[in-house]
Amino acid sequence: MSLFDTIWNWCVDLLSNEIWFYLITTVVKLVLMFAVILAFVVLSVWIERRVAGWIQDRPGPNRAGIPLQLFRQFGSKEKQPLKEWLHFFGIPETCWIAKLCTWLRLDREIPTFGLMQPCLDGGKLFLKQELTPSYVRKVYFTIAPMLVLGPPMVATAVIPFASSVSTDFGVINMVVANIGIGPLWIFAISGLSVYGLTLAGWSSNSKYPFLGGLRATAQLISYEVAMGLSIIPLLMMFSTLNMQDIVQYQADNGWTLLPLWGEGLSWQRWAMMLPLGLSFLIFVTCVFAEANRTPFDMAECETDLVGGYHSEYSSMKFASFFMGEYAAMVIGSALVVTLFLGGWSIGFGADAALHSVCSWLAVFCQFIMFLIKLVAFIVFFVWVRWTLPRFRWDQVMKLGWLVFLELAVANIFLTAAVLYFVK
Amino acid sequence: MDFAISSIIFYAFAAMALICACCVIFASNPVTSAMSMALCFAATAGILFGLGAQFLGIVQIIVYAGAILVLFLFVVMMLDIKTEEEDNSFSVFSSLLRMAPGVLVAGVFGALVFLAAIKLPGATDWNNPLCQAWNSMSELCVGKQEAAPQTEVSDFGGALPALNPAAAAKVLNPAISEEEAAAATSMPDTKLLGQKLFSQYNIAFVILSFALLAGTVGAVALSRKIRKD
Repeated sequence: MSLFDTIWNWCVDLLSNEIWFYLITTVVKLVLMFAVILAFVVLSVWIERRVAGWIQDRPGPNRAGIPLQLFRQFGSKEKQPLKEWLHFFGIPETCWIAKLCTWLRLDREIPTFGLMQPCLDGGKLFLKQELTPSYVRKVYFTIAPMLVLGPPMVATAVIPFASSVSTDFGVINMVVANIGIGPLWIFAISGLSVYGLTLAGWSSNSKYPFLGGLRATAQLISYEVAMGLSIIPLLMMFSTLNMQDIVQYQADNGWTLLPLWGEGLSWQRWAMMLPLGLSFLIFVTCVFAEANRTPFDMAECETDLVGGYHSEYSSMKFASFFMGEYAAMVIGSALVVTLFLGGWSIGFGADAALHSVCSWLAVFCQFIMFLIKLVAFIVFFVWVRWTLPRFRWDQVMKLGWLVFLELAVANIFLTAAVLYFVK
Repeated sequence: MDFAISSIIFYAFAAMALICACCVIFASNPVTSAMSMALCFAATAGILFGLGAQFLGIVQIIVYAGAILVLFLFVVMMLDIKTEEEDNSFSVFSSLLRMAPGVLVAGVFGALVFLAAIKLPGATDWNNPLCQAWNSMSELCVGKQEAAPQTEVSDFGGALPALNPAAAAKVLNPAISEEEAAAATSMPDTKLLGQKLFSQYNIAFVILSFALLAGTVGAVALSRKIRKD
């Protein structure tokens, strides 16, 4: 028996054990989801700057690539690798291929269309001098950035990124934690990041960060109420709190906002569109407010408060706040996509058709679909930021407590009425 | 395996909750107290998760850790309460005197909890060292009398129902077959709670809601400034 066979048999034995199978698949899913979220944090920074550039009629970061100077062994600056390659394939240097390559700056770097920019920014922040003011409360000053970055990462655990696959060893459900309280888990855990903001403001021991922290606390608590109430119409329709079941329902019966197949073709389902549209509007606005993004970035609006709660932070601690904000934005987008835009479902009955062909192919396509939807919603997020001006502080509070709370409560009764009289 | 892990979770989180609860009292900085209390709530939620009551656990985090305690912290920071200073002017006797009521209340409360706990079904016949110790001790106490009858009835609500996923599935849908009930892996505690709350305890639920509403209206009425113009 060869070595390969031995290893293969050992793996089969290991996976046949129920507990090891569960542990291994969970760890793989965990690493995958974590990698996706971190990659999306970087990607959304890039999207933000490119879309901002596009909206403001400037290019944005489109240059930063991987310089070929790093790969010295391929040739020095005089001995260009591009010229060597052209020479190798026998292409003249004045040919259009050579010109195109030069235009793409292939003679100097590997082009990434500016995607390297966030990584370079990260590197810069990492190497900057860490400056902790002498007057801060050190312990809380240090743990505050962790409390901002940690919760969004934990909250990803319940977001399904594909349907399930049955293998020889058991069923793999493509969600890290398939628990029966999906949306509540995300609300609860991402709601904990308010501690980070508050403690950052308080421990900085100076006035502007303190005001920023107070604003963040008040805003997050206010909008959490309306956010929780706004998804109740959805839950009344799905009658489950399990995220995987919610997405499965949408794959079978049409996405919440696009019911074009399955049960979604009936007029009763379309009668639900009014309350569901209303709850989408409230929910998306609340997600904006929860992610502390313009038009709701009261906690760090530089015209009033210098830098808000992170004024006193520098280097990697500042970067943690920065990343935490983008991670919250990615999680918010993922939640909106999962609840309203069909999550991983490809739609029009394609999920079931693909599953009958090959479940691994279906899962792969669904994962790609989920990522596409996520990018689309992040672009929407950024688009709003660079289009709408910032609210005034009292307007934010009024909007939360006097408009959205009432609307969300009325929406629950409206949904109940529609469900009672129509279905 | 299942049993061992849930026990480990229970003891780990219970220890964490107790330590954090002590920190709430002993910390001199009010913000540290508040943060310890948040950790204590989180540990309690962990215990509930370990018992399979996911909904209760998450509600614990949303309501207590996510909302109420943030408001505590908010107020503590707004008032900017200074760190308590050590006060050495009291003698040993007076500090003991100050501690006595607290110890008394804690002791009475602990005894009540303990007495309730040993009357729970399965508490005394369980084969763990703690229960064996209790059994042998009660034999010592009552001399040659028989050991207390192993009761399945609690003092508070008659016979306690079995608490496992299969039983829960049976409660939720009585038409379900035994095999299907046994296949249930997680407790649908959201549904069970909802059913109980909106059928059996509906009136109490509505009355409590009105009590909360009255409190809210009262708070608004008290804090609202009435403009003269």
